[in-house]
Amino acid sequence: MNRTFAPSHLRTLALLAALLVQPAVAAPQGRPAGPPPPRAVAPVDLTGTWLSVVTEDWRWRMVTPPKGDLASLPLTDAARKVADAWDPARDTAAGEQCRAYGAAGVMRLPGRVRFSWQNDTAIRLETEAGTQTRLLQFGRRAAAPARPGWQGVSVADWQFAGGRRGGGTGSLRVVTTNMRPGYLRKNGVPYSAEAQLTEYFNVVTDATSNDTWLIVTTMVEDPQYLSVPRFVTSSQFKKVDASPWNPTPCMAE
Amino acid sequence: MKKLIVAAALLLASTPAHAQVDFSGEWAPRFWEDQPERVPGPELGDFLGIPISDAARLRAEAWDASIQTLPEWQCRPHSADYIWRGPSNLRITKEVDPVSRETTAFHAEWLRSVDRAIYLDGRPRPPADALHTWSGFSTARWIGDILEVTVTHLKEGYLRRNGLPRSDRATLKEYWIRNGNYLTVTAIVHDPVYLTEPFIRTTDYELDLHQRVPPYPCAVVQEVEREKGQIPHFLPGANPYMTEFATKHKIPVASTRGGATTMYPGGVPPRTAVAQPPAPASPSGIQVLPVRGNIFVLQGAGANITASVGRDGVLVVDTGLAQASDAVIAALRQLQGQLDLRAPPQGFAAETRSSVADRHIEPPAKPIRYIVNTHMHPDHTGGNEKLRQAGRTYTGGNVAGTIEDAGEGAAILSHENVMLRMTGQIAGEQTSPSDAVPTDTFYGEGMKLSHFFNGEGVQLMHQPAAHSDGDTLVYFRGSDVIAAGDIYLTTSYPLIDAKRGGTIDGVIAGLNRILDTVIPEFRSEGGTLVIPGHGRISDSADVAYYRDMVTIIRDRIAAMAQKGMTLEQVRAAKPTADYDGRYGATTGVWTTDMFIEAVYATVER
Repeated sequence: MNRTFAPSHLRTLALLAALLVQPAVAAPQGRPAGPPPPRAVAPVDLTGTWLSVVTEDWRWRMVTPPKGDLASLPLTDAARKVADAWDPARDTAAGEQCRAYGAAGVMRLPGRVRFSWQNDTAIRLETEAGTQTRLLQFGRRAAAPARPGWQGVSVADWQFAGGRRGGGTGSLRVVTTNMRPGYLRKNGVPYSAEAQLTEYFNVVTDATSNDTWLIVTTMVEDPQYLSVPRFVTSSQFKKVDASPWNPTPCMAE
Repeated sequence: MKKLIVAAALLLASTPAHAQVDFSGEWAPRFWEDQPERVPGPELGDFLGIPISDAARLRAEAWDASIQTLPEWQCRPHSADYIWRGPSNLRITKEVDPVSRETTAFHAEWLRSVDRAIYLDGRPRPPADALHTWSGFSTARWIGDILEVTVTHLKEGYLRRNGLPRSDRATLKEYWIRNGNYLTVTAIVHDPVYLTEPFIRTTDYELDLHQRVPPYPCAVVQEVEREKGQIPHFLPGANPYMTEFATKHKIPVASTRGGATTMYPGGVPPRTAVAQPPAPASPSGIQVLPVRGNIFVLQGAGANITASVGRDGVLVVDTGLAQASDAVIAALRQLQGQLDLRAPPQGFAAETRSSVADRHIEPPAKPIRYIVNTHMHPDHTGGNEKLRQAGRTYTGGNVAGTIEDAGEGAAILSHENVMLRMTGQIAGEQTSPSDAVPTDTFYGEGMKLSHFFNGEGVQLMHQPAAHSDGDTLVYFRGSDVIAAGDIYLTTSYPLIDAKRGGTIDGVIAGLNRILDTVIPEFRSEGGTLVIPGHGRISDSADVAYYRDMVTIIRDRIAAMAQKGMTLEQVRAAKPTADYDGRYGATTGVWTTDMFIEAVYATVER
């Protein structure tokens, strides 16, 4: 037997669907109803100061590795050629001493990072290393600036647990493009202007020691300089709100 | 239409309250962090970025890679905390409850691993003294889409496979995070012995549908010809390789020594004191742990009591302190009460036996029939008197005819030196009550129970001049369990009763004898189980770690003694410093100083 839905049934279903997708936060009186701002529905609190804990890749992160030390990295021949020609003095002379402090490399540099809300739709991410500031903008992608910058253009969105809003937990995903060519590793390992960076920010609290950790998974796509579709690393930061903030300038070496 | 709406509502309501992510699949490791450390392996002296304690550094400096060639270590897999960093593919499978259809467990396996089960079904943790394993015991809970895993019951392992140790007191927290087709696993090790701070690492995998984890059998072979009992290691200050890494990579030597200061840029941040929950009180009374088959271990009576409980009655190895006797007897009766004696054993029916006897009423369990004393100390023999009196010896024929009381009480078996000491026949010993004294003794290499007991042979093996001059190892040959007495402990350095004939070399010989007897089930784990005189249930790897430790300390003290150093000079040199956090004590019946003195007094010069 074929069954069809009467129009009234379809209307009921539509009503049910509308009820299910309604925003979790009611609009203030006098304003048109709309989705709540990202800040209001944040499933994870990233704000505060975090200290990088360097237990991995130590000799390529805590000290500037020697030229040509390219171990661990999936690079194209073109990238190797660029890395082998690394000249920090030339970078400094050209005003390019911040090449290792671009968005694709800065989270692997040692030091503190600080998250705060710039406004209801953007997170400000500052780094001690190189005194850099990243703006993680929710919503539609802003128009790219005329010239790429070290930190590029970052578009953020929440990843809600279970794929649904209101679950109370989740993570932050950030996709960054329009970056000025920089270094993945301080000794001149390059990424190009075509590079795209995808990052996932998760926060966990280990009750054993009561430490809160920020786990950042970083994926760099760069067909020019990477021999794999995605170069993946992960870094860990410890919540240290009470510790002093000591930004340092970019150093080519 | 109402039905449709109800169905839609039910669908929503049935979405799990806690998000569940599917981690099952084939995961390929991505070696873009620490690749040289992971494949082929870390360089000697590279302790960079690990918050190790001084003790860990000392142990790593004494480590000789040749130790990996010992038979006990050839098939050792990486432990749960390190294997994520190993050079291997990963397969994760899941168990689904057929009724609730909830994921009740994940299982992870790598190239050379044991099954790593992570339980989500809310099962309780095993007792602290249950067997520890390479994988440990893992339970998990969901925090949104993140799986938080708590791991306990880990065997000793390593923080880095260049000699940096991780103790068996460590626990592990993991956070499994899936970002699309990528898996990031955060592993945080807490080790009160060898770390000064939590040690965190993150490792990345990518889903790879074309991957497989191939088999990886392992056979132990004789890799290096060396004298029996020799353990490769460097004496303190004698390792010539500790600066190679720093020199090669132009890194300050001080940094390569590791420690928390190398992990934090700009110095170690202040740590807020964590209010630790009070340590769980030791269970009062007697705690019974099943070991295998008929074999149980009773704890809480002083020394461990190993018990064989079955159709033939009860055999106990040691009897604990005198004041615990009543509780021990009650615990044994409870174990006997749990036996199912109604069904006859397989193949029991015969022309003279009926297999259709009344099964509604259970026959009484047979009593304590044998007590074996591993040596004479009162924490092992204190309960002899009461346990013997609670038992019975079945006898007859000439014996019953000529010795009227031959059937009274359980038989007490031991090496004759135990009897001689307990009867005051050796100068300086006090006489024990007559019912506490061994009734059946041997004076050679050992004895066997003359018949199967509870379905298996029981062998008593004398170990000369070890913990004392009367030590016996008891081997349950069917259950494949060894009760080691105080030759093997997991709670302290070996207790060497030098006044009663104990020696360090005898202890080491005893440990090697245990290792010659045991056979692991798989990858140096399980198989023959060993019950220490004090401490947790163990297997070959646990005994091997202990044997290595005791041998290394013996070698150090022997080298110092051969140089003519006095006992005070040896103590000042701290030959046990790298193990004190695990086995040492400054108070109590057996301190580190007493151990050093006993080794110094009995070591061959």
